[in-house]
Amino acid sequence: MRALLLTIAVVSAGIAAPAIAADQADTIIRGQYQSVLGDCSGCHTRPGGKPLAGGLPLQTPFGVLIPPNITPDAETGVGKWNATDFHNMMKTGIGHDGVRLYPAMPYPAYTKMNDQDISDLWAYLTTVEPVSNKVEANQLPFPLNIRLAMSGWNLLNFDATPFEQDSSKSTEWNRGAYIVQGAGHCGTCHTPKSFLGADKNSAFLKGASLQGWFAPDITGSMTSGIGRWTEDELIAYLKTGVNKHSIASGPMAEAIENSTSQMTDPDLKAVAVYLKSFASDTAAVQSVKPDEKRMAAGEAVYRDNCSACHGGSGGGAGPLFPALAGNSLVAQDSVETLVRLVLEGSQAVHTKGAPTTPAMPSLAWRLNDEQIADVLTYVRSAWGNNAAAVSSGDVTSVRGNLAQ
Amino acid sequence: MSYRSSVRLNRRHFLSSVAIFLAAGTSASFARSISGSLPWQALASDPPIQVVPGGWYFFTPQEAATVEAIVDRIIPADELSIGGKEAGCAVYIDRQLTGPFGSSSRLYTKGPFLPGLPTQGYQGEANPAQRYRAGLAAMDAFLKQRDGKSFVELQPAEQDAFLTEMEAGKIALPNGIKSAGFFGLVLQNTMEGFFADPIYGGNKDMVSWRMIGFPGARYDYRDHVTKHNEPYPQSPVSISGRPEWLGKGI
Repeated sequence: MRALLLTIAVVSAGIAAPAIAADQADTIIRGQYQSVLGDCSGCHTRPGGKPLAGGLPLQTPFGVLIPPNITPDAETGVGKWNATDFHNMMKTGIGHDGVRLYPAMPYPAYTKMNDQDISDLWAYLTTVEPVSNKVEANQLPFPLNIRLAMSGWNLLNFDATPFEQDSSKSTEWNRGAYIVQGAGHCGTCHTPKSFLGADKNSAFLKGASLQGWFAPDITGSMTSGIGRWTEDELIAYLKTGVNKHSIASGPMAEAIENSTSQMTDPDLKAVAVYLKSFASDTAAVQSVKPDEKRMAAGEAVYRDNCSACHGGSGGGAGPLFPALAGNSLVAQDSVETLVRLVLEGSQAVHTKGAPTTPAMPSLAWRLNDEQIADVLTYVRSAWGNNAAAVSSGDVTSVRGNLAQ
Repeated sequence: MSYRSSVRLNRRHFLSSVAIFLAAGTSASFARSISGSLPWQALASDPPIQVVPGGWYFFTPQEAATVEAIVDRIIPADELSIGGKEAGCAVYIDRQLTGPFGSSSRLYTKGPFLPGLPTQGYQGEANPAQRYRAGLAAMDAFLKQRDGKSFVELQPAEQDAFLTEMEAGKIALPNGIKSAGFFGLVLQNTMEGFFADPIYGGNKDMVSWRMIGFPGARYDYRDHVTKHNEPYPQSPVSISGRPEWLGKGI
């Protein structure tokens, strides 16, 4: 950032063509904002590493992929790419020299971005400090490691339709839809995948499992979605990582830190308007009440381990400890995230708006799988919550994955 | 004259130690600045390890029998609770004596060893493990000589009488061991075993907590602070849980 400002300062100070220089600066700054919307650094920057010089391995259902170095280094980065290469890659998933990308790179979403935004982003990427860091992105097993296979995948799954404005909706709604479906690539985590790893667009943003977390339903559902969140609460969550319903954890905490907390207020408002426009279903599925013995055990575990922060009746405490009554994360079909939070603990993300970072301690040492299953069964059924019981096998499998 | 010079020496000594301490303090740089999030790690925990009864780690069988007999006189089984032995007080003391408490590893243990005031507690050189070993041997040596019996062979009433005299400092134990001091140590550790969390080996089934109505390892009573003159409804909970977590009531 400092280098960028310095460049701008130097360029602006030039006498020859100040007008063009100023345009470049604007382009680069706009491009940097596109990188915020697209959360490039979320994948392409290793924690504590040089910006965009390659990220941590992604565990996909098909194998491991390592987000490559996208700094302008000629040998190990994208220094040999030009604007057209970049544009094609964002639109089609086919990179420099015809190399086919795997859709862990969310080009199925980025294809919705308009040409202007993509070329701004490219202008910004060319100003990033070049870093020499060789990344072998493709760690997939045979035959998935054959990139040409992706031509078939694209034929089956890839829809290159550009973003279409809906003229019946407001400008704000359209801006929100453009961010959510395009650069923001929310569906990459929150939309369930087919067995080929493609978004099931019929279940857009209905929640999906990835990397040992369950990215929750963010549609208008009153039970599992964000139907009970107001627009302002949704904006607060995206801006600060916390609102009265929830505190971000896991990959969403990272997305908030690197991306949404840095979005402009009008863009956050647009995203909220769009997401809140999904139909809210109120027809909650009546799940079978768990047996009383498990509920009693779960209540005892809850009382002794959880209630001090989350409240005797699941009411939570303001922005520090989320309420569990009526909490949509509690009501997801998958309990992967819930189990993980109890086992590992969690810390709120640090943002300018919410710098306190309250944390939940790990309970893996204190509670066995049966007790965690019982307490989550209780939490999912108490105080008006109405989600299915949790089996100790669910807990065992998450514990096993964490131990690896 | 010599008094003065010794004071001066002591003061110089003191000041130079302070200087060394400060130098060590600044160069070792334990302090660090933290910005952004507070340090936090997933799965972080440092729980105490559950003491499992069975076998003695510090005591010889003879010592263990003596300690079990003592704790059963200090806390006899009665209508209020089980006795100190059944509650695990001797197991608690045994495990403590093998750990940092027994070896005084967290205390300053160098001289000078001067007699302190009564309020200052034990000021001698021996650590608790050494005090138990010497104290129990001295007790039995004393009783063998006086009564021809060891402590465990005495009748309960005789044991009580002997312990009462120990507490009053009326027993002249061999090897210069202060009977009141040693009794005080055993009394202190017996109470700790009886009232500490069961995870440390005593307080079996939270017996003392149930007896006195202590709610255990809890830390939030907001739902109850306004309910005056009503008993707290929850049964006590240990660090390792309570039977209700397994779906069992007591």
